[in-house]
Amino acid sequence: MPLEILLILVAGGIVGVTVLLHLSGKSELRALTPELAQSEWLRHAPDDTIIDVTVAHDGHSALIRTQTGNGLLWSFGADTVARHLLDFDWLEHPDGFEIQFHDFGTPKVIVHLDDFERRHWRHLLEPV
Amino acid sequence: MTDQITFPDAVQWAVPFFIAAILAEFLWIAVKGKGGRYETRDAVTSLIMGAGNIASGFALGFIAYAFFMWLWQITPLNLGTSIPVILLCFVLDDLRYYWVHRFGHRIRWVWASHVNHHSSQHYNLTTALRQTWTYTFTFMMVVRAPLILLGFHPAMVLFVGGLNLIYQFWIHTEAIGKMPRWFEAVMNTPSHHRAHHGRNARYLDCNYAGVFIIWDKMFGTFVPEQESDRVDYGLVHNIGTFNPLRVAFHEWVGIWQDATQPGLTLRQRLAYCFAPPGYSHDGSRDSSDQIKAKHLARHPEDRGTPGFEQSEAETPNTEAKQA
Repeated sequence: MPLEILLILVAGGIVGVTVLLHLSGKSELRALTPELAQSEWLRHAPDDTIIDVTVAHDGHSALIRTQTGNGLLWSFGADTVARHLLDFDWLEHPDGFEIQFHDFGTPKVIVHLDDFERRHWRHLLEPV
Repeated sequence: MTDQITFPDAVQWAVPFFIAAILAEFLWIAVKGKGGRYETRDAVTSLIMGAGNIASGFALGFIAYAFFMWLWQITPLNLGTSIPVILLCFVLDDLRYYWVHRFGHRIRWVWASHVNHHSSQHYNLTTALRQTWTYTFTFMMVVRAPLILLGFHPAMVLFVGGLNLIYQFWIHTEAIGKMPRWFEAVMNTPSHHRAHHGRNARYLDCNYAGVFIIWDKMFGTFVPEQESDRVDYGLVHNIGTFNPLRVAFHEWVGIWQDATQPGLTLRQRLAYCFAPPGYSHDGSRDSSDQIKAKHLARHPEDRGTPGFEQSEAETPNTEAKQA
């Protein structure tokens, strides 16, 4: 196949699929409830025993306290990703906190928090 | 042997079909309200990985081709290009694919290339195109050497390999349940391959087939999809990025970080490169065998069911035990 045609097909295909999916509402983030956050955490970490779950008011992040330590679950497109809070840093961010994981495949996540819950989450994130 | 033989690049010619099939699957799901899920950034990442795979073929494909042509120079055998020879080459190349794919899940150096194909939590036709950019660096082209030394021309071997990949495109879908029983018995199907993409303990390290599922049945790696255990797609530890560069290279970076940490023996450094994924010198990670064992400790009722026939109850990490 001529290279120009291949390039047009590939670029056009990617742009076309992107526009189609976005316009049909497939870009929305997964909304978390406490029950959903709990079941999603156990999907990612089935060996854990959950103590309690704190879902951010925007419904896109949840702090999970387990018997082996804290973890963060967050919306990742239509799905979720979870990490134990072991090797991480957290920074103040205008919208909440920025959690950095020191992991090339999961570099960071912005946790969106309002002023009220920011104080509570700061307390939860402090090392015990 | 230097005779000039050319075959079309089947994968490139299939690109229009790929695009049309993705649109058809998306519309099918939209109309039926079932049969899979699409998410914008996930799908775009997969498509960019597919485009990058083609680009890496242009940039690095000459390395494998030069190796194959060198083999072709030294072999005294030439089976020609008749239809029966092409068919035989297709079947034998599918056996080659089975083993390369199995190595891809059991040797971390090869997994570093293949992991990106499993990095989506979705399973649709775009997932099929989420392909590696770094296959050349796995050196798995050596597994094709016997075919060429047996007298199959390199161009033909690459051609049937392309047909193999095109076959595998359509099985990346939830829109098709089960195919007719005879077809499921012989061929790789959406059902068999869904199980392969599962991160459930039951489905780890199963169904490596490309076209013919018979290889898994022959070599003891076949696990049928279970209605009672819905496939959960993705990685045991799902990544949190849609950035194609991070998707393509994250496991290579992980190997580098693990193998260069201070205080390890040479054996441990090599194990971080070549042992099965999940190896750790201190027992801080789980291999697929350990994940299955932990699952059985939580769900003993699954013992002996498909995917757990040979698994034992939870076993301690041998390295950690030694430490």
